[in-house]
Amino acid sequence: MSENTKQNYLNHPKGIMSWLMTLDHKRIGLMYLFSGILFFFLGGLIALVMRFELAAPGNDIISNDVYNNAYTLHGAIMIFLFIIPAIPGALGNILLPLMVGAKDVAFPRLNLASFYIYSFGALFAMYTIINGGVDTGWTFYTPYSTQSTSNVVPMTLGIFIIGFSSILTGLNFIATIHKMRIPGLTWYKLPLFVWALYGTSLVQITATPVLAITMVLLMLERFLGIGIFDPALGGDPVLYQHFFWFYSHPAVYIMILPAFGIISEIIPVHSRKKIWGYKFIAYSTLSIAFIGFLVWGHHMFTSGQSVFSQIVFSFITYFVGIPTGVKIFSWILTMYKGQVSFTPPMMYALSFLFLFTIGGLTGIFLGAVALDIHLHDTYFVVAHFHYVMQGGTIVAFLGGLHHWWPKSFGVMYNQTVANIAALGVFIGFNGTFFPQFLLGLRGMPRRYATYDEQFVELHSYSTFWSGILGISIFIAVMNLFWSFIKKNKVDPGSNPWGGMTLEWTHTSSPPHPHNFEEDPVLQHGPYDYDKVIVEKTYKK
Amino acid sequence: MSEHHITPLRTYLIIAATLLFLSGVTVWVSYVDLGALNIVVAMLVATLKASLVAFFFMHLLWDDKKNLTMFLMSLMFFGIFVTITLLDTEFRGDLGLNPETKDPINKRAAFYDTLPLTDTHGHPVDEHSDDHHEDKDHH
Ligand code: HEM
Ligand SMILES: [Cu+2]
Repeated sequence: MSENTKQNYLNHPKGIMSWLMTLDHKRIGLMYLFSGILFFFLGGLIALVMRFELAAPGNDIISNDVYNNAYTLHGAIMIFLFIIPAIPGALGNILLPLMVGAKDVAFPRLNLASFYIYSFGALFAMYTIINGGVDTGWTFYTPYSTQSTSNVVPMTLGIFIIGFSSILTGLNFIATIHKMRIPGLTWYKLPLFVWALYGTSLVQITATPVLAITMVLLMLERFLGIGIFDPALGGDPVLYQHFFWFYSHPAVYIMILPAFGIISEIIPVHSRKKIWGYKFIAYSTLSIAFIGFLVWGHHMFTSGQSVFSQIVFSFITYFVGIPTGVKIFSWILTMYKGQVSFTPPMMYALSFLFLFTIGGLTGIFLGAVALDIHLHDTYFVVAHFHYVMQGGTIVAFLGGLHHWWPKSFGVMYNQTVANIAALGVFIGFNGTFFPQFLLGLRGMPRRYATYDEQFVELHSYSTFWSGILGISIFIAVMNLFWSFIKKNKVDPGSNPWGGMTLEWTHTSSPPHPHNFEEDPVLQHGPYDYDKVIVEKTYKK
Repeated sequence: MSEHHITPLRTYLIIAATLLFLSGVTVWVSYVDLGALNIVVAMLVATLKASLVAFFFMHLLWDDKKNLTMFLMSLMFFGIFVTITLLDTEFRGDLGLNPETKDPINKRAAFYDTLPLTDTHGHPVDEHSDDHHEDKDHH
């Protein structure tokens, strides 16, 4: 390394325009990352306001109307502006070409377009807030959503637009995975994160159009009075739910599959062990993506759906547990007899295993129609989906950030602070959401600003711990950003965790603008920790 | 990648003619009363036309088979969606637990109270009336 200030994608080329017009997947990924984190904080702030409202019964801080707006915006922002676009958009964009040994994604311009489409859609969503909010819930159920005078139109329009960004990113990733791998990098040698992105992308391009159609139908009914969902016009309100969940159940796999991918990378690297059951994990990704299309009716058990459909949907829902279980056991077996180290990424991965298992299993409870009739629209459901989305996806996302941070930015954060924050997230999370399972079982309905006296104790626990959770996440993210200011640079050739995938072995940290200074040659599989070469070549 | 396939002009013309013919069929069939089957026929013709465009004009037929797989997959998912959703509508109110959800929804729609009931040709039909309300005399 002759020149000390080597060129990398962060410092070359320079200037604001070189960022705004960049075709570099890493820069686009970064822009997704920052906008995603921004929305994450915005959604999180709204969540804390709600939690403090719920600290005691009665309307202490905000009115019922404001509360309705708050949970709608919280859900819509977290799902449509953060989790769905930002995780594939940020980590996927930064890592995919590096992992397959390519200079960039297959269609760099389309990639930039995706980002701007996302930003454009986000503007509509933000306009909603300035203009007085929207109060239908993130699901926009008819008939209320065709009648509500709040900003249903700008919000659904925003979601409609963001959907296209999602579709184009999915398309881009699929083309990249098919066409841009270096010679010798066969399907079974791909890092599992790439498999996960492949499954995610398939779901994105097959399910998202249905969301777009749903939003269009909603507007057709609102503006042209065409009877699609409104019984007074000859429509069927339950049909809306079919449309919505045909997208939104697969969408929960858009949220969780990248997280599975991240975990499949973190665990073998930080346990120094070959992944157990590579093909099982790879194929379970695809089968989850497929089964995910057949179970949407489990959100509609109390909608007046036919009993016949209830039985079918309930039955098929159980099958989701099989590939999911396969993954969990594979990860546990990977750690078995490995050299597990408690680095920050691994702390998040272990939290993930614990939290996602609870979330997934309670999902199966809810999939049992007889039980769901009682639990539907209670806090039990709220707890379930926070265990999978926050305890699963967001925890994995934080783990991924910590894992690839030195790679992406060439700086290392303070690992002790990171570990403490990770522990805080884990404890704060359980403290916040576990009581919500109990609340739900005792009949506390979701989406209310106030509640009966009997629920005070559990609600106030939940609020207390949500403060701890919020502070811990804030510390975790600030600790990452602090590493920029601290300039605790890692050596450009360094591989702090001893990863074996191409982004660790063949690119510098941070990577060169064109990723690889010379064409990478594959020497081993992604997790060949059982081979001696590792010790010789990569361990520092 | 396989080399590019050159399609003879004749094929294009034949396909274009077929598409025009099928458009004619769509118009013609809309005048024939097939009951509920009308929508099915219209959708089948439309799907056929879209497929012809994809296969010949967009060269899917000679392309990498992966692309064909994607195309067929999208049809399959669409099929799953429509079939399962319609199964629900068809069985709505089975077991008689919610008798009010049993009838087809559009028969009871308020919309049909204000318009005289007609068949698909617009001819009035006599109202077999038990699910109509008193305020009928207003008309
Ligand atoms: C392990 C397999 C899973 C099963 C069997 C499952 C099952 C269910 C069921 C039956 C419901 C409906 C509960 C009700 O409304 O009464 C539900 C709700 C929900 N699930 Fe899951 N789930 C699973 C995993 C996931 C994952 C991985 C995510 C997201 C990352 C997720 C996100 C959600 C959300 C957001 C809702 C609530 C939607 C709403 O009504 O607002 N689930 N789940
Ligand atoms: Cu679901």
